[in-house]
Amino acid sequence: MGKVMLEVRDLKTKYVTRMKEDVYSVDGVSLTIEEGKSLGVAGESGCGKSTLALSLMGYYFAPLHYMSGDIIVDGQNISGMEPDYIRKHILGSEIAYIPQAAMNALNPTQKIIKFINNVIHVHDPSMSKGDIYDMARERFEKLGLPENVLQKHAVELSGGMKQRTVIAISTILSPKVLIADEPSSALDVTSQKMVIKMMKQLMHEGLVKSMIFITHELPLLYQVTDDIMVMYAGQIVEKGTAHEMVFDPIMPYTKGLMGSIIVPEDGMKANKLEAIPGTPPNLKHPPAGCRFAPRCKYATPECMVYAPPVKKPAPGREYRCLFEEKYLKELYANG
Amino acid sequence: MKGYIKYYGGRIAWYVVTFFCALILNFILPRLMPGNPIATIVSNATAGMTDASAIKQIQEQYIQRFGLDKSYFQQFWLYVGNLLKGDMGTSFSQYPRTVSNIIGSSVLWTLGLQLPAIIVGWCLGNFLGCIAAYIRKGFDKVVMPVFMFISNMPAFGMATILLWLFAIQLKIAPSGGGYGFDMVPNMSWAFIQSVLSHWILPFCSVVLITIGGQAIGMRSMSIYELNADYVKYSRFLGIKDSKIITYVFRNAMLPQVTGLAMSFGTMLSGNIIAEQVFSYPGVGSALLSSVTGRDYPLLSGCTLIITVMVLIANLVIEILYGFIDPRVKANQMES
Amino acid sequence: MKQTLKNVFSSPKFLIGFILFMVLLITSLAWPLFADFGPLQNVVQKNGGFAAPGTYVNVADAVELVKDNSSVKFDVDTSANRLAHRLDADSRQMMVDWLHTYATAEYIPDINADDAAKIQELTIDDMYAVCADWEKYYDFSVMPKTIKKAERNKYNQIDKKVQTMLSNEALILASKGENGLQEDCKVPMNAFVNTKDVASRYTLILGSDNFGRDVFTELTSSILVSMRIGLIAGCIATLIGMTLGLLAGFIGGVLDNIITFFTNLFTVIPSFVLLILIANAVGGSHRGVTLIALLIGFTGWTWTARSVRSQVLSLRNRDHVNMSKISGHSTVKIIIQDILPFVASYVVMAFILQISSGILAEAQLSMLGLGPATTEVSTLGLMMHWALSFNAHTQGMWWAFLPVIFSIALITFSLNLMNTGLDQVFNPQLRD
Repeated sequence: MGKVMLEVRDLKTKYVTRMKEDVYSVDGVSLTIEEGKSLGVAGESGCGKSTLALSLMGYYFAPLHYMSGDIIVDGQNISGMEPDYIRKHILGSEIAYIPQAAMNALNPTQKIIKFINNVIHVHDPSMSKGDIYDMARERFEKLGLPENVLQKHAVELSGGMKQRTVIAISTILSPKVLIADEPSSALDVTSQKMVIKMMKQLMHEGLVKSMIFITHELPLLYQVTDDIMVMYAGQIVEKGTAHEMVFDPIMPYTKGLMGSIIVPEDGMKANKLEAIPGTPPNLKHPPAGCRFAPRCKYATPECMVYAPPVKKPAPGREYRCLFEEKYLKELYANG
Repeated sequence: MKGYIKYYGGRIAWYVVTFFCALILNFILPRLMPGNPIATIVSNATAGMTDASAIKQIQEQYIQRFGLDKSYFQQFWLYVGNLLKGDMGTSFSQYPRTVSNIIGSSVLWTLGLQLPAIIVGWCLGNFLGCIAAYIRKGFDKVVMPVFMFISNMPAFGMATILLWLFAIQLKIAPSGGGYGFDMVPNMSWAFIQSVLSHWILPFCSVVLITIGGQAIGMRSMSIYELNADYVKYSRFLGIKDSKIITYVFRNAMLPQVTGLAMSFGTMLSGNIIAEQVFSYPGVGSALLSSVTGRDYPLLSGCTLIITVMVLIANLVIEILYGFIDPRVKANQMES
Repeated sequence: MKQTLKNVFSSPKFLIGFILFMVLLITSLAWPLFADFGPLQNVVQKNGGFAAPGTYVNVADAVELVKDNSSVKFDVDTSANRLAHRLDADSRQMMVDWLHTYATAEYIPDINADDAAKIQELTIDDMYAVCADWEKYYDFSVMPKTIKKAERNKYNQIDKKVQTMLSNEALILASKGENGLQEDCKVPMNAFVNTKDVASRYTLILGSDNFGRDVFTELTSSILVSMRIGLIAGCIATLIGMTLGLLAGFIGGVLDNIITFFTNLFTVIPSFVLLILIANAVGGSHRGVTLIALLIGFTGWTWTARSVRSQVLSLRNRDHVNMSKISGHSTVKIIIQDILPFVASYVVMAFILQISSGILAEAQLSMLGLGPATTEVSTLGLMMHWALSFNAHTQGMWWAFLPVIFSIALITFSLNLMNTGLDQVFNPQLRD
């Protein structure tokens, strides 16, 4: 077992809306990532995966608020730290973030190198501009980005180039944990491929020590990450290795989610594509029992009342359901 | 660099074409007057004159200047030719002064008043708009409605109120004119002092109006930019908020530069009406006296000079803007 | 549609703007029901024109009441009040100056030393003491012979006024009879009549303008006329702008190039200059309210055309439009069904702005003397033009121009508030 890079215990955060209502979008999430490993987070839109990404950084600003839980990065518990300390010593250098809409993530009127200057200056004020330039050039070249990108403004770059530049900037300080929120979803297929290649390269060469990859595209997770975790309504409903999750889902929601995709692998039976009926619950007032129960075709009256416990059938495997794995498997087998 | 020359060459050519169109309009519109224009104009111009030789002189000069026996096409070239020589005809109401002479002096007064006022108002307005967007709450809630009301005040209204309040009620400023009526323009200190004291009230009225409009525009631009993705991304890379604010305001400011160019048209022509309230010896007062005195050549000269001023201001700002804002530069290079 | 309206009216900015606008509109519409005069009726005759705001009672009626003995006598000294009204500031200053100069031991040897000291400290604010001392010490003869005769006469006139005021004798009304003047009646200095008993009584809320028109009545009618101008101008500008924008954006090609060229051209040439030239060319006799409104509309469409065009450009390749194209719908049908609903919010906002800029344009044009040349109605711009040409602002006759300015500002303010409110509803990104 490798060194634990990130451990999260029972993290809870909420949004406060303009109407002063609380939305509990991350509601008791726990996870662990070891060095050299990558974790995928999947779920429908609105399930709280992007909020989880923001919450993991320990740096909160309105409308997102921290409620409880611990975030431990490489043995350092950052959840109680001063925001200014986190800003200077954690963000970028320990935990790095790749935003969802990388198209607009770069200040359009600033040269890329100037932005990199600003980023590095926060963490290491002693570095000279020349050193920073050399370092950035070296890193960009390593990741297959042309050097002249550094002298350009964001508006002069194409979409795929912008996204790769953002990834390069995010990882320029070789962070221990990289959180990538849908890094490839807005791109065309070719650019997507390049971005994925780049992410794999980052992991392979140890430029980032561990990675959380958030997406709604399950096939992508299966290709890229070691483990997969499925989120529903602010909670983790199932966790396991990529292979287990795709070929042996336990929880009905995961089953449904996997049923709605095509994985181009042998051994998959020709699944009929199914969509999960209904929409995720309103997180202002989450349902009392199992949050998936209203949409679950196997739900019983108990499911509506009792919140399901987290069950751990094997090491590294978790699911959240009232029923036992065996019973569920039987249900699936009978259709 | 070649792209630049091509682009700006194109823009300048476009402005020349626009100027030509304005020239044509300035030539044609007065000739669309119902009835025999020359008779109306000459009788208007000579109304109140008793000197028969002067009347005859005007009539002859008029016929000669416009070459009324020639075709419209030839007349137009005559008109352009005269303009190139700086000859805009002779004023009727201030006979025997030439129009070029009257306009030459009034343009200086107008530029001396409007340019600094618009620029100062623009800077102050943008500054206040930034602050309002950043502080929000109290400052924003109180100051913004006030600015909104002020910006909706017509320029001549603001001028009238300031004049009435400070010159008539409080008697702390002169009540009109460009300098003391007992003075002869010269370069003495006393004269300059008098000019300044007459300048300050019209200056303030233009500044106030400009501030209002700019502050509101800047505020909403800043709020829009503060919600941009790059703000979030920069934060998660550990960059200080105070630094991010500088990105935001720079980006919010740039569209305001176009705003400046576009509003030069309305500001300049609108504020010029305010000049007559102060009997300021600028283009506005010349315009008024041309209308009341039915001084057709002067009117035509005034409208032409306002158009030229607006065109030049737009062109200058457009060229400068391309250098400041990389977004625009990218657009320019594309097209 | 219903939901949209609900959203719009729940925006506080829009609501405030709407209420402000409606208050102005309804007041203007309803006022003629209460008004004593027509909007352009010359009611007041006064030297110098402008009559101050206030209630005016008929003097003859008041005197009649005194004659009928229905007046009331107050047992108070009214001289101080009349003093303030009947002695102008200059006279008062002259009185004080005279006392300072001559009520000294130098000119009046037997003066009381205490009084002399006090007199030196007198100011025109304490007219009571001034008058008392004046009565006590004023003497025509103490002035040195070197003083000009005219100036001495002035002092004597003041003295006469002061004497009549201080003597509480009655004012005598006389008529010319066969034997010369005959006393008709005496009006005691302490006689008062109840203003309610005076039959003819008019309240001019905002006084009168230089022509003697009731400013408030004139203002309400002007607001309506100006709003009409704004509305007509707004309709025309929006219609032209929308049509050109739709054509340029949807059809594209050469048509787009031509329209864009003209739009850019008229954006850069100040529309106000065009307006001046056209209004001047039309000539005074033809310039009615409607014509001015039309002119403003025909010169102000550029912004609408621009923004509609860019909106349509972004809509043109949307799926639902392509669907319609494939289904073989006609261009007109596609524009009406698939494009218009999406640009409607922009058009409405542009329309509101056009109304407010139309009202402003009329005012500016009128200020130059190029406004509607009519004697049947007045507009806000014309009122402003008249007030300024008769120097209301330099004479401090605030009621002739301040209400006009504030009306213009309030109308444009309310319209712009509505526009901002709509903007926030339709473009939530800007919402704060």
